[in-house]
Amino acid sequence: MARKTLRPVAVIGGVRTPFCRSNSAYSELTNLDMMSTAIQGLSDKYSLKGEVIDEVSGGAVITHSKDWNLTREAIQSTDLSPLSPAITMQQACGTSLQAVLSSAGKIATGQIECAIAAGSDTTSDAPIVFGRKFAQRLVGLGRARDIKSKFKLFQGFSPKELIPQPPSVAEPRTLLSMGQHCERMAQEWGIDRAAQDELAVTSHNKASAAYSAGFFDDLLVPCAGIVRDNNLRDDASIEKMATLRTVFDKTDRATLTAGNSTPLTDGASSVLIASEAWAKKHGLPVLAWLTESRTAAVDYVAGEGLLMAPAVAVSDMLKSAKLGFDDFTHFEIHEAFAAQVLCTLKAWESEEYCRQRLQRKDVLGSIDRNKLNINGSSLAVGHPFAATGARIVATLAKILSGTTGGRGLISVCTAGGMGLSAVLESA
Amino acid sequence: MAKTSSSNAIEKNPYKHWRLHTDSHGLAWLTIDRANESANTLGRDVMQELDAILDDVSSDLPKGLIINSGKKNGFIAGADIREFGDANQADTAEIIRSGHAIFDKLENLACPTVVAISGFCLGGGLELALACDYRIALDIPSTKIGLPEVKIGIYPGLGGSVRLTERVGGLKGMELMLTGRALNARAARAAGVIDEVVGAHGGLDWHARRAVAQKRKSKGPGIVGKLSNTALVRPLLARVFRKQTAAKANPDHYPSPFALIDAWEQHRGDRARMFQAEIEEVSRLMVSETAVGLRRVFNLMERLKGLGKADAFEVKRVHVIGAGVMGGDIAAVCAARGMQVTLQDREMQYIDPALQRARKTFKKILKKPLAVDAAMTRLNADVEGVGVGRADVVIEAIFEDVDAKQALFESLEPRMKEGAVLATNTSAIPLETLSGVLNRPERLIGLHFFNPVAQMPLVEVVRSEQADEREISKGCSFCAQIGKFPLPVKSSPGFLVNRVLAPYMMKALSLHLEGRSKPTLDAAATGFGMPMGPVELADTVGLDVCLKVADTLSGSDIAKEREMLEKLVASGKLGKKTGSGLYQWEKGKPVREQKITGFDVHLQSVAERLLQPFLDECEACLRDEIVEDADLLDAGIIFGTGFAPFHGGPINYLSKSS
Repeated sequence: MARKTLRPVAVIGGVRTPFCRSNSAYSELTNLDMMSTAIQGLSDKYSLKGEVIDEVSGGAVITHSKDWNLTREAIQSTDLSPLSPAITMQQACGTSLQAVLSSAGKIATGQIECAIAAGSDTTSDAPIVFGRKFAQRLVGLGRARDIKSKFKLFQGFSPKELIPQPPSVAEPRTLLSMGQHCERMAQEWGIDRAAQDELAVTSHNKASAAYSAGFFDDLLVPCAGIVRDNNLRDDASIEKMATLRTVFDKTDRATLTAGNSTPLTDGASSVLIASEAWAKKHGLPVLAWLTESRTAAVDYVAGEGLLMAPAVAVSDMLKSAKLGFDDFTHFEIHEAFAAQVLCTLKAWESEEYCRQRLQRKDVLGSIDRNKLNINGSSLAVGHPFAATGARIVATLAKILSGTTGGRGLISVCTAGGMGLSAVLESA
Repeated sequence: MAKTSSSNAIEKNPYKHWRLHTDSHGLAWLTIDRANESANTLGRDVMQELDAILDDVSSDLPKGLIINSGKKNGFIAGADIREFGDANQADTAEIIRSGHAIFDKLENLACPTVVAISGFCLGGGLELALACDYRIALDIPSTKIGLPEVKIGIYPGLGGSVRLTERVGGLKGMELMLTGRALNARAARAAGVIDEVVGAHGGLDWHARRAVAQKRKSKGPGIVGKLSNTALVRPLLARVFRKQTAAKANPDHYPSPFALIDAWEQHRGDRARMFQAEIEEVSRLMVSETAVGLRRVFNLMERLKGLGKADAFEVKRVHVIGAGVMGGDIAAVCAARGMQVTLQDREMQYIDPALQRARKTFKKILKKPLAVDAAMTRLNADVEGVGVGRADVVIEAIFEDVDAKQALFESLEPRMKEGAVLATNTSAIPLETLSGVLNRPERLIGLHFFNPVAQMPLVEVVRSEQADEREISKGCSFCAQIGKFPLPVKSSPGFLVNRVLAPYMMKALSLHLEGRSKPTLDAAATGFGMPMGPVELADTVGLDVCLKVADTLSGSDIAKEREMLEKLVASGKLGKKTGSGLYQWEKGKPVREQKITGFDVHLQSVAERLLQPFLDECEACLRDEIVEDADLLDAGIIFGTGFAPFHGGPINYLSKSS
């Protein structure tokens, strides 16, 4: 077989449901409902009815065991061809970005021509299960042959075992929640409350302005009658933000509040990528090219900041791409917490961190805040874990397709101390 | 038909409207897909083919028969109403008799029979489904299941009155047939009309296959359902049904539900006799004046709906200026239908009451709290008018002042996006006066809504002299998208509906001044078949509004009537909205000094005098070409004024009575 040369990967565009705070407007929906709504929205937007998509990948973070084939099920609930194969995968908050990246690799190497990446999450329809001890008893019950062995299975039974277990968002190895980890990072890097509040307010204001300008109109598909993210405040202000109480730490030095952290959110998103030939054949304009990516991890168990991995991923990616911050017109840094964004920015400005941890000779530098998340990000619109990556890809691709064009950098942090980064360039 | 034929084999399908296919596992799949029609209906051809198919199937019995639809929009919408046209009673009886025989064959088929429903399953469609062993339905919003026959002046005639009361009992079955309401999949399961609900993501056909494999049977009615069909209980229930039905429909004008109650009460104990009653009663009702009139209304309704489908214009965002009663309610209705709405007025204090009213409207229309909350997020106050630039439709509903409106339109036009519709709700100012300030005067259309907006089904789409036809059809399309019937009318004082109502209400006042009591006038009108008497109507519309309309419209001498209205208005008695007008109002109902029932010769003569100016004005409108033709005029008057639907519209009524 002849060797194949790499091909450019086109971002055609994306569609998502509006995001809603958990246990609000989507409390009756499942991941399957939302993911299929988002993908159907994509199909409608690009007239894909009946099309075979070469690869559909995506997933959900908080998920029922019955949703083991979520992405494939979602495809079959749309008008896309049922001959489209699907992969259900997961990389915490990086899920749908990783879905984009892995399909993009196959497009680049000529294995497939088009792909959809999707992500959905809901903590309203959380899988609530029995503890392991009781579950094992139940499983054993199915295998037990006689009354005696059945009875034996329940020896030492305690009613406590019946307490249902909701999914936990705490890190299993450190027992700390993500917010607690981020609070630690804020202390280490000296990020104060005011700076976090300011970033959060800016995010709301920018997203609100983008809504009014109609930027999101073709990026959203109505879901359960909702047409707009319900976490977004048009009237966000520093004064209001300052009144919120801290939530992850009860001491005086605590800085994280419900306002400068993302809320638990329900929603789904999807994005279509393809080869140039496929796009041309279908008459679909290319919004942007996906040119670089990198995934990295940090050893948070040994003491690194849990959400610092994007700092590493971006640095490594830029090294291999021979790019610096000056080469970018836009930065889409996922805002899990305002503190996490500010820690990352500070790390890139720190000579010590850049030299020791990032193995660089010089500092990576500062990011022009006017180029950062220009239409708001997760603090404003919300953060359904698996859906955020595809949201960011679609948003940045649309920004880059505007008259000014340019090059944009994406970074997303995930649970388990991982970080993803990618580069989009205007077409 | 070979049972073992592989699923890949191409079998020649001998039928026009059905496809029959036996799969490799011995299951027969019967798919209805009526040729050259967008929706399945049980026309004569379709029934004849079904008859032949059932003979085929029973001669070479499959393991099971599954009936589904080849159309995306639904299963079967019912009988083909167009074929009822001018059937006589004897022919109709024969058609019903042969329909019974065909469904009997289906019911008696010696293999399991399952119906798989997705989308609508109404009238004859449900009657077919009821003749099968087991019914399953997909839980999607378009799934609607019911027997709406009473709405066209008959009752279910293909065994529905027999089999529905058998399946779900007399209480539930009769309630469904008497109201004619349709149920969603889950409600239909709860009522026992269907046996299994398949979730929106499920595979309907595979559930049907499982139902056959497991030989699933319908559970039948519970104890209460069975009891309600017994000879002891029927007379008691029948009395309740009659009373409840009479509260909604006058037996003289709408005899069919009462005929159904009679048939059930007398014959439910005897299945064969109950079928016989269907043949006799439904054929008799079918040719009655009421049924003929209601079929006409149905066809007119389809025509108005068609006007709203002619253009592919899609509305996502609406901007309404003026948060008064009309503007606020128009905004609420748009938001209730899923649109994103911005509502503008000078200050927040003028918008707040509209938002509060909207919540009530949403509760009535949408019911579920989550849906109500979602609708509230779609309706946004917008004092600065930032919504104008993104709106697909901009509607002006501010106070009736030429200068203010002209200034507004001048400022709106440059801010609107390409292709957006610009409309005014005015009924007082000629469109031509307003459009003069526009760069493109041809783009302005009128969208004249009626109060209360949420309840009134009609919107007059007003065409000015310069109007661009595309804008008119876009306006019609918008109306259809908010669930209203669009009626294109020529721009002229009062358009159609108000122009016809004004002389009628003036006539009521003059007859009152001559000495007829108000309740007499109202009783005469409702006896004729109007939904509401003219005195009550005037109070409901508001006497201040009546006065304005009278001034612009009534040409003849109305000095005395005017004086009477002026006095009431001056003393703050504006009608229902102020609690007192021509009547005193208590709890939203007028207090009448005398109760009048029946429709005797005297009332008939009063009705004739009352209606004369109404009918004259209808004919004048036709001459003046306010609407395109007589059918559209009838449609507009029926849906705009509620004019006795069983008469089929005023022009139809005139041609009948002449």
